[in-house]
Amino acid sequence: MTLSTKHQAPTEGDPVPRPASGPMVPAPPARRPRTRNLRTWVRGGGLSTLVFLAPMLIVFTVFSWSPIVQSVIMSLQETNLLDAPTWVGLDNFVHVLNDPLLGTAILNTLYFALLALLFGFPLPIVVAVLMSEVRRAKGFYSALAYLPVVVPPVVAVLLWKVFYDASPTGLFNTILGWVGIPPQPWLQSSATAMPSLVLEATWAAAGGSIIIYLAALLSVPPELYDAAEVDGASIWNKIWHVTLPQLRGILFIMLILQVIATAQVFLEPFLFTGGGPNNATVTILLLIYRYAFQNSLGGDYGEATALSVMLAIVLALLSWLYFKLTERWSTS
Amino acid sequence: MKSPRTVAIAGLAAFAMVGALAACSAGGGDDSGKTELRVATFPPGADAAAYDAFAEQEAQFEKANPDIDIIGVEYEWEGPTFAVQLAGGSLPDVFTVPFTDSKTLLENGQLMDVTDEVEELGYADKFNPIILDAVKDGDRIYGFPRQAYAMGLHYNRTLFEQAGLDPDSPPTTWDEIRKAAKTISEKTGKAGFMEMTQNNTGGWQLVAASAARGGSIQEDNGDGTYTSTIANDATKAALEFLHDLRWEDNSLGSNFLLDWGTINQEFAAGNIGMYSSGSDVYTALVRDFSLNPDDYGLTVVPVENGGGTLGGGDIAVVSPTVDDATKAAAVTWIDWFYMQKLLDEDAAVLDAKTLTESGQAIGTPLLPVLDRETYEESLTWIEPYINVPRDQMTPFTDGIWEQTPVGEPKGKTQEIYALLDTVVQAVLTDQNADIDALLEAADVDAQALLDE
Amino acid sequence: MTTTQPPVFEGVDAPHAASGLRGVIGRRRAARRPDETGDRGIVSDHDRKNRGVKVGMGGVHFVLFVGLVIAGLGPLLWLAKSAVTPTQDTLRQPLALWPNGIDWANLPQAWNDVHIDQFFWNTIVIAAGSWFFQLLVATTAGYALSVLRPRYAPILNGAILATLFIPAVVLLVPLYLTIVNPPLLGDVSLLNNYLAVWLPAAANAFNILLVKRFFDALPREVFEAAKTDGAGPFRLFWSIVLPMSKPILGVVSVFAIIAAWKDFLWPMLVLPDPAVQPLSVRLPAVQQSIELDVFLAALAISTLIPVVLFLVFQGVFLRSAGLGGAVKG
Repeated sequence: MTLSTKHQAPTEGDPVPRPASGPMVPAPPARRPRTRNLRTWVRGGGLSTLVFLAPMLIVFTVFSWSPIVQSVIMSLQETNLLDAPTWVGLDNFVHVLNDPLLGTAILNTLYFALLALLFGFPLPIVVAVLMSEVRRAKGFYSALAYLPVVVPPVVAVLLWKVFYDASPTGLFNTILGWVGIPPQPWLQSSATAMPSLVLEATWAAAGGSIIIYLAALLSVPPELYDAAEVDGASIWNKIWHVTLPQLRGILFIMLILQVIATAQVFLEPFLFTGGGPNNATVTILLLIYRYAFQNSLGGDYGEATALSVMLAIVLALLSWLYFKLTERWSTS
Repeated sequence: MKSPRTVAIAGLAAFAMVGALAACSAGGGDDSGKTELRVATFPPGADAAAYDAFAEQEAQFEKANPDIDIIGVEYEWEGPTFAVQLAGGSLPDVFTVPFTDSKTLLENGQLMDVTDEVEELGYADKFNPIILDAVKDGDRIYGFPRQAYAMGLHYNRTLFEQAGLDPDSPPTTWDEIRKAAKTISEKTGKAGFMEMTQNNTGGWQLVAASAARGGSIQEDNGDGTYTSTIANDATKAALEFLHDLRWEDNSLGSNFLLDWGTINQEFAAGNIGMYSSGSDVYTALVRDFSLNPDDYGLTVVPVENGGGTLGGGDIAVVSPTVDDATKAAAVTWIDWFYMQKLLDEDAAVLDAKTLTESGQAIGTPLLPVLDRETYEESLTWIEPYINVPRDQMTPFTDGIWEQTPVGEPKGKTQEIYALLDTVVQAVLTDQNADIDALLEAADVDAQALLDE
Repeated sequence: MTTTQPPVFEGVDAPHAASGLRGVIGRRRAARRPDETGDRGIVSDHDRKNRGVKVGMGGVHFVLFVGLVIAGLGPLLWLAKSAVTPTQDTLRQPLALWPNGIDWANLPQAWNDVHIDQFFWNTIVIAAGSWFFQLLVATTAGYALSVLRPRYAPILNGAILATLFIPAVVLLVPLYLTIVNPPLLGDVSLLNNYLAVWLPAAANAFNILLVKRFFDALPREVFEAAKTDGAGPFRLFWSIVLPMSKPILGVVSVFAIIAAWKDFLWPMLVLPDPAVQPLSVRLPAVQQSIELDVFLAALAISTLIPVVLFLVFQGVFLRSAGLGGAVKG
């Protein structure tokens, strides 16, 4: 079974299809017909079910379902909190699409995603494959690899900001100095700012991926390796023809998840560079934040939600793709 | 604001709303017959001593005005707070806003007309007309200018000495600044000069540097429209100055992502020879950034080609939603708390005395919101309480009167500052940045903003 | 990776995590089989006898060790060192060991003067509240949908699942306005109120699905038996289902606490008053008003608790990471 539960299929562990009222309740005696339905419902556990559902219903209605609906409405309105919102049709979308920064933000976000794929995607796979072959101290290695993930992200960014000190006595520049490389500007140049952000983000996130790949590697059936060896496969052959194909599913899932995550990158550009230098690190989410929250005179909530909605549609498509894939792979 | 029509609709709606709210709260005041007045105090997180001083002043005021009950409210002009507070009903009845934002608020109908009250108090004509202009729409007045600053050049006297420069005769031209910066960075290894670039401060400083060279980034057409003139020679010269310091002299240090707070921090930590910021920043440098007062020096920003010194400041305003009784109380408070210490000896002495007792800075150089004579006279009243090293600021306090004050641009100020941040960052982080092209592009973008 | 607002985005990973839960439990069992014959990986025992492979493995071992120590431990060790190093030393010789001695005073200064103690406490309160509300909502809803199963359950399941496809970002502004002006509460704003962080965090579809999946797999016979003994739905929930669900409650707790500890953007928006802000929001703000050495000490203190928690509960952490790890951490 996977999580495919749009249709409430009976689970394996659940032999009897269960009526809503629960089988243990005796049929209520028919009394006054008007209240009968309500009584049946209450005595059948309908009320207690609702009591159990209440916390979820309340928080989801107020903090999830209605904001989702509101965001669509707000993207078509001009809202400044003070006056009644006015309908403006697609004006917000037109404005956002005409904002010269939007192109920059999209390109920057794609650039971040691309760099994150280049740095951040293969590295954990390699490390995980190597770690899976280590026989001693596996737990120790897992812990080491996971340690950066435990550091609060804000602390990580602020710490790396110190590392990225662009003066010759900055930490990274000192290290570069040892091997004769001149000091780098890191965050202080349009060219190196984004790679610097990605480097930190990769450091902060790789541990999580490593642990997932390690778990996935355990599930590769050993028989496959045995079979490959019978065919005289070398270690490389085994990695290439057995391990990686077996990991195909999880690799693709991780890829989509990473794209979804990087499309919403905010913390790094916000804290490292504020989008600078020269807009080199303005990302889509940073732009949304600026629309809504930068201006003390009241944010442009309409434009912010319009851009959010556009981003959300793209991401929802990706999520849907991901969902379909997990469903297929886990059922097969 | 999208289009004139939307503006009009929004404006109408705002007035309708304001009317409705006023109707709701009409006849306010509580059972005791006292009028409750909620006034802005300090940003969240201000130190306890500042609150002690405020409590003392609150008591003084309530003693003099027994029918008014003052309630201090934390307040900060930052982030999305204003609209949120106004909508959420937590906006104080009296608060302050920077000159640069007053115009937008005026357009939105979010400020209370106080013309009659100002005239009744009798000092309407004492205001510095350039400053009063910030709160006027036609001949109506919408607030009390209460404090103003001019841009100043702040320098580290200790670094000057270490570099063999005379801290008592700081640079007086941009060329001298460049030379001094180079000397400081060569002799001490610190940044000779530093420039803010982030959170709209880059644009703010560029506009100031442009004004000092006789430039202006927009023209007010007088009919509510503006023409962007960013791509002018003065702005270009200002950027070339930064470019030369950065790429030829390498005297700007290595951090080009600074804003108002971080540059203060760097300066207080002794890492900066000179930087340009508001003349009143000393208060914050000592209070929030632990500057050693002995290091501090302040002079005027050099002015060339008929330029002037950019100034700014803030105004005390009344929330548009209050009823008449509260409005009257609000004006009484503004007059007592913000204005009388500028006009009246007893009030000035009392204020200075109260503030020094709590260790707040007194005597930080400002630009007078009233005329110069009144300002200088007020300084003699509070002489015994002055606790800032004014002798280290004489190059500024002597020189500022020679300079023409210039107001900040009025159209889409913050948005255009944000655009210019990018230009300044580009020049500082890209050796081959094409200044002309950057300015042209910014000019087009700014005009698009102004035409909205 | 980097999102800050918890509910929905994490939710995106739910399908994976949920299948992963089964997967990991299954895999662990599966993985035990080869254990009997020794660890069977890519490199066979036969390979390992090969001299070249032996040397190669040794090299891999070494590179892995050095790499992981530098990347995983290095920055933290540096932070620990710098927390007690005078500012000028850190600036001039960032990699030297205490050229001018150790400055222990940084730590108490950060704790007392910068009020790290206060922000630390706020962080704990936020994490505890988020944890409580997330568990409350996830277990009650999971129980209702999995065990009680009202007729309309499929609709709710669909509505919950649907939120997984909506990324957090789309909620940012409307959710913020909801907090500024909550429905049915009149003029009261939830700004600076911890409920503004706790409740949206509890609207987490991922948790509910995770818990529901787990409940689905519990043996129905036990429930039937309990009902025959006269246990009502509340007894069943409290005395039977919850005690059987400790593993999944542990996982949800780890997720909830980690997410709360890491969250930045959302608390920054809804908790503008510094007195109630958590460390993540406060640290960037205090950075500019304190000296570097004290600031690094503050960073070190803020890192200590999560790291210690991790070292103590390593197993739970790594297992949870294996599940939903993509939930990014």
